This record gives sequence, structure tokens and C-alpha cells, in this order.
Amino acid sequence: MDEAHISRGFRSKRQMQVANDRVPPGQYVTTDFPILSAGPTPQIDVSDWKLALQLGGSLLGVWSWEAFEALPQTTIRTDIHCVTKWSKLDTTWQGVTFDDLLNAVGLAEPPQPYVMAHCDGGYTTNIPLADLIGGKGMVATRYDGIPIAPAHGGPARLLVPHLYFWKSAKWVRRLRFMPEDERGFWESLGYHNYGDPWREQRYDGD
Amino acid sequence: MPNNVSDLLLGGDAGARLVQQIFVPDVTLAKIRCEACDSETGIGALTVYAGPMGAVLKCADCDNVLMRVVHTPHGLWLEMSGARNVRFMSN
Amino acid sequence: MTETDTSSPARRLDWQLAQVRAVVAETDRVKSIVLQPGNWAGHQPGQHVDIRLMAEDGYQAQRSYSIASPPEDELLMITVERVKDGEVSPYLLDELRVGDWLELRGPIARHFVWTDGLRGPLCLIAGGTGITPLMSMLRHRDRTSSRTPTVLIYSARSLADIVYREELDGMARSSNNLDVVYALTREQPKDWVGHRGRIDRTLLAANCFPPAQSPAIYVCGPTAFVESVSGLLVELGFDPFSIKTERFGPSGG
Repeated sequence: MDEAHISRGFRSKRQMQVANDRVPPGQYVTTDFPILSAGPTPQIDVSDWKLALQLGGSLLGVWSWEAFEALPQTTIRTDIHCVTKWSKLDTTWQGVTFDDLLNAVGLAEPPQPYVMAHCDGGYTTNIPLADLIGGKGMVATRYDGIPIAPAHGGPARLLVPHLYFWKSAKWVRRLRFMPEDERGFWESLGYHNYGDPWREQRYDGD
Repeated sequence: MPNNVSDLLLGGDAGARLVQQIFVPDVTLAKIRCEACDSETGIGALTVYAGPMGAVLKCADCDNVLMRVVHTPHGLWLEMSGARNVRFMSN
Repeated sequence: MTETDTSSPARRLDWQLAQVRAVVAETDRVKSIVLQPGNWAGHQPGQHVDIRLMAEDGYQAQRSYSIASPPEDELLMITVERVKDGEVSPYLLDELRVGDWLELRGPIARHFVWTDGLRGPLCLIAGGTGITPLMSMLRHRDRTSSRTPTVLIYSARSLADIVYREELDGMARSSNNLDVVYALTREQPKDWVGHRGRIDRTLLAANCFPPAQSPAIYVCGPTAFVESVSGLLVELGFDPFSIKTERFGPSGG
């Protein structure tokens, strides 16, 4: 069955249209943008900001804000899904894709299969490389065309929208390659290691 | 002070409840010592972060994570490696 | 709890059409809708379905509803409460007719499930329409002639708001091992000897199986209700691991 069935006599209350099959199981669509943080909001000055790509004991690349802004910029429009059940459709983000970060440090291929994102405030999350390359992940600096507000993870956050939104780590500072998977902040305390909303992988044990 | 454990427990907040759930004695009468900077604070005075995903308590002095509690359908998780100890005061 | 079949998860997530076979008025704000799904793989008591509506202009709305019928029934029953200014419930309660079609997918959620065969006495606690998934469990228990000692504590505003009341009273009468306790929070009949007001520690302590018996506990209802009852249960010494909860959250409508 490709198209949704028209429910006889159902009339919409709102103007907003929701397309087919965009809401994963157990989720509801919100027009808000709820804020959830595992700590206080860091107030980061972009003149102090740096992003590093780390492999073993060395940094493959370190970017200041100006250098980062000078990298190829990509804008995407996507849906985001929080494990606390809200989904927000058609969100627009701008930033640097993970592919472009690899290019910038001269890597044709990722050197190791996993990444741990390290953030201001100590938050971490782990992601397989396969879920970052091919346009699937970026470090985002703008939401809806304007710089991301601190409460929403600004100046820069990771964006991996095909996974539950706790993986889109706010205030990202360092992306560390790992030869083996390690569990990050939520993954080590009851949440699913991978987090696919379409398979409803919310919790460790699902 | 907004959003500290004592106020939140009175208000029935889910995150604060999670913290209290772990312990038998009243958690607002307990003190927790930070592993990283050794400072001791009353748990009742700490801010609870991370709302619907779980409860996170951070040291007010050095921001180290003291305690995390998560309640999932598969169990109740507690992690306290950031705390040297918790002391429950006698009445 | 049995593992669900993970070899065909795609089937669970596919939308299918179900035809409305009956609409039953349960109370003045609640109706049950009986559905014949096109391709249903079965479910476990406690699980829910997603229902999707689409208007002619393409606008869609989607909500989750617990399955009230037991797995032994071929027809699925969902029970819907009217939500003030809701988007979906007025359609389901006022417009939907026998013979109409509804899109659904499921069953969804594996954690809030009870089947006969799980060990231990059973304690079910419902707030308002939180009774729905618990009713699936109770009907399953009834159909399997289970002897599992069970107590249902059901909180509602008034006697008239108790959904499935005759059926619940009938089950309690005909089973030696089932107790049904009502807590009426706003309005009680003059001769009411049952509990008045919200569920409190005393009521739980008096009616739940003691912690030493390791009952399996299921709590379902509005979020605040579930938080409050869970908190009381933990204070009474029940193992938090033994308490399963289902919150009817903000998407209701």
C-alpha cells in the first residue's frame, strides 16, 4: 500500500501537512523545539571555540571558528526524532558534513570504524563511521538559517538525524576515531547503543 | 533557587523522583562528595538535569557528573562514579 | 517475557487497513471501536497500535491507542476517550461509522506486556483510560482460565466513568483469584463504601500483594498519575524493576 488511505469525513484542524511515513513508531509530531540538556548550557565564545578530529594520540585537524566557517558548507532539510517521543519535521540545518571534514584532513576513507563525540560539559556519544559519512552526519552551525542558540547546542553541534536526537550531540568539540565501539553518556546508562527510530531502538535491551 | 532536588521533589518532578527512588533514606538530607574536587554538597541543593531522559546531578563547584539515574522499560540504572561518597545525616 | 519475532520487524511497522465492525459506547466520554484488520500477526496484552487519519487535502494525524482486546480475539478493540479540543478523538467518537476503514500499524511496544505464564501474582493499577491495556491483560487472563492471583486498582472520577464496569464486576465475581478495587476521585454514590479520593499509600498497601511476594506490577494512565503511583509503590518497598509503566502522554487528542 503506497499511499495513505483517505479517512471518510476527516477534516484537518491545522494548515500544516504531514507527509506519508515520516513519523517513526511511537512518536508524535511537534511544532515546538523542546530543549533537553544533561547539564547547564555552556556559554561559548566563538573566539575560544575549536573543533578537533582525533586519531589515537594525535589531532588530525584542529579548526578555529574562522577556519571552520571557511570549509565547504552544506544545507540540509530533514526530520529529527527525540527518544522522548517528539518528532520535528522539515528542520533546516547548515554546517560542514563529516565527508568534508575527512577531505579537509586529506583522508579518502575513515581510518577507524567508530567515532566518539566529545562535548563541552563532558557529554559524549558514540556513532559508527558508516552513519556519519555519505552525507549522513554533519557538524551544524545554523538552524533555520541563523546561528544555533546556546540552549540548542550552539555554536556547533553534531547532527545525525537518522538516529535518535541524543546522538546529535550539542556543543561538540572533538571527534575521536575509535578502533572499537565504546558507549557514550546515555548509551552506557540504559539507552540503546545504536538508536534507530524506525526500529524503535530507544533503550538498551530493545 | 529554582530546580534543585528539594524543590523538585516537593513538586513531584520525575527527574528528582528518580534520584529519590534509588535510596531508602530521604535524599534531601544527604550530602554527596565530588570525586574530582572533593567538595561536599547537600543533594537537596543540586540542580537536576536531563529531565525526561533521566536524572543527572553535577558538582556545583567543578561541573563533574556526580550521579546519573535512568529508568527504562528494562530496568533502573544508577551510576555514581563521580561521587566519592554519599552521607545520609542521622535525624 | 518471550522475545518477539525479530525476523520480520518490517511487518509490524507497515500500515494496513482495518474495517470498523462495531462502535460501543462505554461511558459518556468513552467509546470502544472494534476493528477487523487486514493482515494481523497477533499481539500481546499491553501492546498498542498507531492509528493514522488523512483528510482529502493530504493532512494527516496520527495517535497511539492501547489494544483492549485479548490476543484470543480475532477482532481488535481500541478504547478512545474524548479529548477536549482534540483532533483525532472527536473524529473517532462522533464521525466514524461501522463499515469505515482506519489505517493502523502494530503491535507496538514490547515492554508493557503481560501474558499468563509469567510468574508471580499480578497487580494492575489504572488511572482513567489507562485501564485499556490492562483490560487486554485481564481478558487474556479470563480466556486462558488463569488462576494467577490478580488485583486491579482502578481510579476514575466517578462510578459512571468506570469503563467496562459490568465486565470487570463479572470477572471479579466469577474468579476466586481476582479482586477489583475502585477509587473514585471526584464523585461517589451516597452508599459508597469503597475508596474515596485518589489512590494513596494506604490503599496500595491494603490491596497490592506485599513486596515479599514479588508481584508483577503494571501502572497505566496519565503521566502525573503514573509518576505519583510509582513513587508510592517504591516508598512501600516494591522493587522498581518490578513496576512497568505506560504513560498516556501529551500526544493524546
